[in-house]
Amino acid sequence: MRRIEQGVTRPEPIAVEIDGASVMAHPGETVAVAVLASASRRFRDDRSGAPRGMFCNMGTCSECTVWAALGTSPWRRVRGCLVLAEPTLRISTRDPESRP
Amino acid sequence: MTGETSKFDILIVGGGLVGCASAWHLARLGLKVLVAERGHLNSGASGQNAGSLHFQIERRFLEQGEKAAADGARIVTLNRLALEEWRGIEHMLGRPLDVAMHGGLMVAETEAQMALLAFKVARENELGLSTQVLDGAQLRERAPYLSPHLAGAAWLADEGHANPRILVDAFAEGAGEQGARIRTGTALTGLSMARDGTYSAVLSGPDGEMRVNTPRVLLASGHWVPRLAGMLGLNVPLYAAPLMMSVTDRTEPVLPYLIQHVGARLSMKQTEDGNLLIGGGWPSRLARRADGTPDLDRPAAVEMKNLRANLAVAARVMPGLAQRSLLRTWTGTTCISADQLPIVGEIPAAPGLFVAAGGSLFTLGPVLARLLARTIAEGSAPEELSMFLPRRFAHLDAFAVLP
Repeated sequence: MRRIEQGVTRPEPIAVEIDGASVMAHPGETVAVAVLASASRRFRDDRSGAPRGMFCNMGTCSECTVWAALGTSPWRRVRGCLVLAEPTLRISTRDPESRP
Repeated sequence: MTGETSKFDILIVGGGLVGCASAWHLARLGLKVLVAERGHLNSGASGQNAGSLHFQIERRFLEQGEKAAADGARIVTLNRLALEEWRGIEHMLGRPLDVAMHGGLMVAETEAQMALLAFKVARENELGLSTQVLDGAQLRERAPYLSPHLAGAAWLADEGHANPRILVDAFAEGAGEQGARIRTGTALTGLSMARDGTYSAVLSGPDGEMRVNTPRVLLASGHWVPRLAGMLGLNVPLYAAPLMMSVTDRTEPVLPYLIQHVGARLSMKQTEDGNLLIGGGWPSRLARRADGTPDLDRPAAVEMKNLRANLAVAARVMPGLAQRSLLRTWTGTTCISADQLPIVGEIPAAPGLFVAAGGSLFTLGPVLARLLARTIAEGSAPEELSMFLPRRFAHLDAFAVLP
């Protein structure tokens, strides 16, 4: 999924971390946008381990749930479509505490 | 509803736990039962509560002083029956209902709260409920995930929780198999008593209006009972209690017990799926009509201040909770009676009219429905129901005018 480039001006990009990789996002974009722009459309996994993608983009379906942490603050589960990308934001689509 | 001309022995208004469980018992006893539910089954407090099975004396009885606590203690005799009812309910209904009865802890944070627990436990033991006081060390041994600051707890081995979203369905399906008719989307829009003492009810459903003449009516519609009894000019002192419940994301099994608090409003437990359910009697905000009066037909709204306070108590008792994420908070409206005890049985001023509503009716609903069905089928109330009968409020109907 790609950003519209023509006829759109955006603030200077910032770097956020998604599953350990640095990804550029523009201030004002949500975490969900950053994940979609990262070439992976994978958000949470269901109980069987199958991947789920964002569905409603308005805070209702919870399918875009990811873990997020600002800098060194503790990880929180958030709905990616409701949280804005910020400098030092780290995002994990897997439970960071149980990662091997 | 055209063509439904058969006579019914009883009309039950309300397709929640009490209505459907009563229908199940009465149908098994051979009565012809019609259940009318305005919305869909289990859409009121029966499905909105968090499913606690609590048999210790509740905090709401303890926060109004010792006299109220002593009165409230009388409910323990019913709690003991409810405990037995829940032990057998999955077998009785022939299906799993997520009933978990691994024990419950009512925690205390201060020495004053420990003294209140000791008072409560002594009263419970007198009444045959085997609660016991645990000191701080014993509590930590039993529940190491709770805060080390807790002073102790009252332990009851039989408490727990069940799934409020499947219980009513089980009763309704069983009632249907026994011949009960269940009509959803069907509201009681008129109720009067004829000169011969029978009742004439107007039901408005998807197919229009239907008039039902029946010798008996059971109002099992929770906080709407006063409004429906009001159609006959009768007064049932039940008052709406809008509450909130919250659920966190799933985590590994950590909490096998029901947690309550003797000094703060809290109930907390973990579902089979691993989610933590948090409630305990924190009020939500009733919707209001334009003139400022409560609107009981619209859902109550989450009260953020109370939600924060509820979660703060929960996290103080179980610190690990602070790492969890809140998935959802919802509201539900139950009701309390003038003396906090459920109102269950026949209205003295209106023979043949029965009511069953009040607080704690998830825990108490199944056993109250059984006792009420016996009352209706046998024509007199069993001794176990005596303290819950509407006759204690008969003075409120001293000026009622009925045929």
